[in-house]
Amino acid sequence: MKLGIVLPVYNRETYVGSALRSVLRQREAAEFDIIVIDDGSVDGTAEVVRSFIADGAPIRLFSQANTGVTRARNAGLRRLLDDTEFVSFIDSDDISPVGRFAADLAHFRSDPGLELTYSYMRMVDQIDDETLEPVAGCDDRIFRGVHLSAGIYRRGLIKRIGDFDEELAQSEDTDFLFRIFEQRARFVFPDTIALYYRRHEHNLTRNLAESRREFLKAMQKSMRRRKADPTLGDLRGFIQVAHPTGDGAPLRP
Amino acid sequence: MGYSTIYAVANSDIVYETFDGDAVVLDLASGRYFGFSDSGSCVWEALIAQVPPASLVGRPCGDGLLSAADLDAFIARLTEYGLLLPATDAVSTALSPDLAQRLAAAREALKIDMHDELADLVMVDPIHDVDEPAGWPAVKQ
Repeated sequence: MKLGIVLPVYNRETYVGSALRSVLRQREAAEFDIIVIDDGSVDGTAEVVRSFIADGAPIRLFSQANTGVTRARNAGLRRLLDDTEFVSFIDSDDISPVGRFAADLAHFRSDPGLELTYSYMRMVDQIDDETLEPVAGCDDRIFRGVHLSAGIYRRGLIKRIGDFDEELAQSEDTDFLFRIFEQRARFVFPDTIALYYRRHEHNLTRNLAESRREFLKAMQKSMRRRKADPTLGDLRGFIQVAHPTGDGAPLRP
Repeated sequence: MGYSTIYAVANSDIVYETFDGDAVVLDLASGRYFGFSDSGSCVWEALIAQVPPASLVGRPCGDGLLSAADLDAFIARLTEYGLLLPATDAVSTALSPDLAQRLAAAREALKIDMHDELADLVMVDPIHDVDEPAGWPAVKQ
């Protein structure tokens, strides 16, 4: 099975190599097509990505003028190959844990009608960029929250949901996931930890006022859609907060 | 309800915006979020702008006039949900012409809808709010 993985990036030369290595170490899970959208980086991001391509990694790099993360994600979706069956995402500063793709793709093999797996994320403040694992004793929290990388999406679902909403400068991921659950996609919530979400001083979402405004906008759009069409599904059960375990093991909902 | 009472947003956990005439309110403390009918959005905006309820009663609202009973019930819901409180030292303001026009053009009765299915997300608030001085990650109690 072919899995397209969309990675939008802007000036993340420090982290993007770790993100790519974390995916590439799982190549036995599927036939990967990693689509990197370099959204106008002015640092060494593109060179880091090219070094992986030179080593034969299944990465396609597309460079464009800076347009923001929403348009960059859409640019990635437009580059999906015709025969790509499944789609996932990874952000340039996050890490895909070992075995994450194999574990969740197995659900699709056993259920041909399945459209989405949506797993846990582990938010951490320190990652060892050699081992690609959280540093022992770091602050962490495990939960099923809003993160595109938590999901693997059947291609037909992506087509059904459509593009990311370019009216949203942020929370485009929230809006996208809201639309998926409103459309009553057939999903499972595996116990897998699908990503290590790295908190650092340059996280996009640290501009609190803008983040809140865009989050409220995504909520408003969802409420407006559900008001116009009461047959749409609500978002109940989508979010699941677990508690820190200290050993990285997910808690069951 | 005292119609001369002026109201204000209850506390700093109540965050809100209006998009294309739709008000949306999020209570960061409870994780609940709220949407309104078109007339409800107008009245919410008026109240948080410190327009006294008395000056809203009898205003054109859709096909009729805004009644004291409907406004009373609406404000009761807002205070019950912990979104508004009487503001003792506030200075009243007049209803803006734009809000008056929108209220007159409204087609829906005064209504607020409460949603709580994202409470866990908002309470842990992992992506959209980081309390740096308190350390990270932090779960609101």
